[in-house]
Amino acid sequence: MTSAIDVRGITKIYNPNSNRPVKALDNVSLTIDDNEFFTLLGPSGCGKTTLLRLIAGFEQVSGGEITLFGDEIENLEPNRRPVNTVFQHYALFPHMTVAANVAFGLERLKKPKAEIEATVERVLALVKMTHLADRHPNQLSGGQQQRVALARALAPSPKVLLLDEPLSALDLKLRQAMREELKQLQRETGITFVFVTHDQEEALAMSDRIAVMSDGEVQQIGGPTDIYEHPVNRFVADFIGDTNFLDGEIVSLNDDLVTCRIGTKSMYEAENSGGHKIGDQVTLFLRPEKITLSAPDEASAVDTRPGKVANMVYLGNQAAYTVDMGDGIELVAQARPREDGKLPFTMGDPLAVGFSARALRVLAQ
Amino acid sequence: MSNWLPKSAAGKRWLGLAPSYFVIGIFMLVPMIIMGVFSFLEPNPYGGVKPVGSVAAYVKLFFEYDLEDQLVFNPGYINIIFRSFQLSFGATLMCLIFGFPVAYYITLQPESKRNFYIYLITIPFWTNLLIRTFAWIIILGRGGVIETPLLAAGIIEDSLRMMYTDGAIAIGLTYSYLPLMVLPIYASLEKIDFRLLEAASDLYASRFEVMTKVVIPLCKPGIIAGCLLVFIPCLGAFIAPNLLGGGKKLMLGSLVQFQFASARNWPFGAALSMLLLAAVVVVLIFYARAAKNRAAMEGSA
Repeated sequence: MTSAIDVRGITKIYNPNSNRPVKALDNVSLTIDDNEFFTLLGPSGCGKTTLLRLIAGFEQVSGGEITLFGDEIENLEPNRRPVNTVFQHYALFPHMTVAANVAFGLERLKKPKAEIEATVERVLALVKMTHLADRHPNQLSGGQQQRVALARALAPSPKVLLLDEPLSALDLKLRQAMREELKQLQRETGITFVFVTHDQEEALAMSDRIAVMSDGEVQQIGGPTDIYEHPVNRFVADFIGDTNFLDGEIVSLNDDLVTCRIGTKSMYEAENSGGHKIGDQVTLFLRPEKITLSAPDEASAVDTRPGKVANMVYLGNQAAYTVDMGDGIELVAQARPREDGKLPFTMGDPLAVGFSARALRVLAQ
Repeated sequence: MSNWLPKSAAGKRWLGLAPSYFVIGIFMLVPMIIMGVFSFLEPNPYGGVKPVGSVAAYVKLFFEYDLEDQLVFNPGYINIIFRSFQLSFGATLMCLIFGFPVAYYITLQPESKRNFYIYLITIPFWTNLLIRTFAWIIILGRGGVIETPLLAAGIIEDSLRMMYTDGAIAIGLTYSYLPLMVLPIYASLEKIDFRLLEAASDLYASRFEVMTKVVIPLCKPGIIAGCLLVFIPCLGAFIAPNLLGGGKKLMLGSLVQFQFASARNWPFGAALSMLLLAAVVVVLIFYARAAKNRAAMEGSA
């Protein structure tokens, strides 16, 4: 597969000559494949937006190179790079109609008039905005402005579309609907999307691959399930989804399993991911949905542990339980409400807590 | 409630607005009416007016009596009016050319520095315009700061004769009213979301196109306001034309001033002022129309 964007050893330092230089990106390298929905995910200040702006050309790199389908672009002006951006706050031109906004890029490229008209019509149809072509941006809702911003960026048929948290200003329902539309749009157009977000749900829902970033560095690159199920470190495991962390020491191990002592005397078995030895300080992680909670008398499985409900949070379709496992260990787990809508357990209830050793994984410290 | 207050809502509203009507009436309407009335009276040779109705002042704008007491067309004053418009237009254009980059530069500065620069722009207003215009005589005049070094270096052999020309008046006007161009342009540039400039360059606009397609259209209200603020006082200016034009190159403003101060022809001065007022109103109507069209175009009520 050809790579759409190759980022090699990119470093970005703001105010390099001042007495307080800020390192936003530190030797970042990654490859984005053609026709891929690639997401840069991380908390605010992790450098994801900076990386996007370096690709777009709004900022100058301090070191390293960026290639776009093999061409070096890191020193080109933004208007010379065949990529387009969907901005976080849309940045629609307020003095132009929707159609004129969408036509802007094509006009700058000096396309023939008939082609511009045809493309504008096609792209507006793609985002279902044809009926509002003559409106001005200030007459549109947030969701409609979002679609126009998308249409405007897609109209010049960029080689890569850059999206800077485009859904963050929308309300929840619309955001969820737009997720599917964006994914579908990417499939239909076949354009490489580079999507920046701090919302891990969004990233998991849409991406082919995700780069998780923190403190100006890439922590992990992989598909959504890779990232969720096999995080490489505590940061990734913590940032994506809810997680139980268990800190302890390896006391024995075989080819399949490691056994760790957690707290003072509790023993937990986890999958052996290799490279461990007895005496290593490790962190185990366990996703809440991998834990089954049952009443002690109903418990069928042999390998359950006793616990009791320490806290609960009702979430509608489920309840999140904090389970006191004794020995200073607490686990977060989930349970569905019963058919009559009542919750299966209440505060202080004794529980049988079940999970398989394969659900526990060892993280690098 | 006391019973002398008006009962109806309209009456109450009128009462609330009464102070502002009063102020506008005293300071704007009354002087204008006096001026209008004076322009239709006969001049008193010792200053002031005689209470005798006459349209002589308006006739004098276009005609004069020749030696045989016949009314003949006199283009003299029309030429002055024409030159006033020409010079005002030129000065406005120069203010725009110099003022826009200044305003743009200030907008690009960090927020903490902007107010300081704006403050610098307003400093000239702290000194009398008359004195500042005199300074231009020293700069432009014979043996002034421009000529002397050029003469000494042998680049020119004779005086450049810059003083007492239309050019000198235009420079003086440009200098006097430049801040009035910078401030409104800055005010509208400052409101522009600079992410729009990034969006434009992302969509393949060159730096020049970013200016012409995005920045200038968006700060058009500021540009128009600045042009009006410069053009209108230029039309009525008399300090720069008198000092730098040497009183030979008259403009409307200096002509009006001359009628009241030296020529003792108040009605004619008032008639000229009415003409000036009419010109300003015409300019403002064009402005209002343009603003209305723009509002309609952008669909904002």
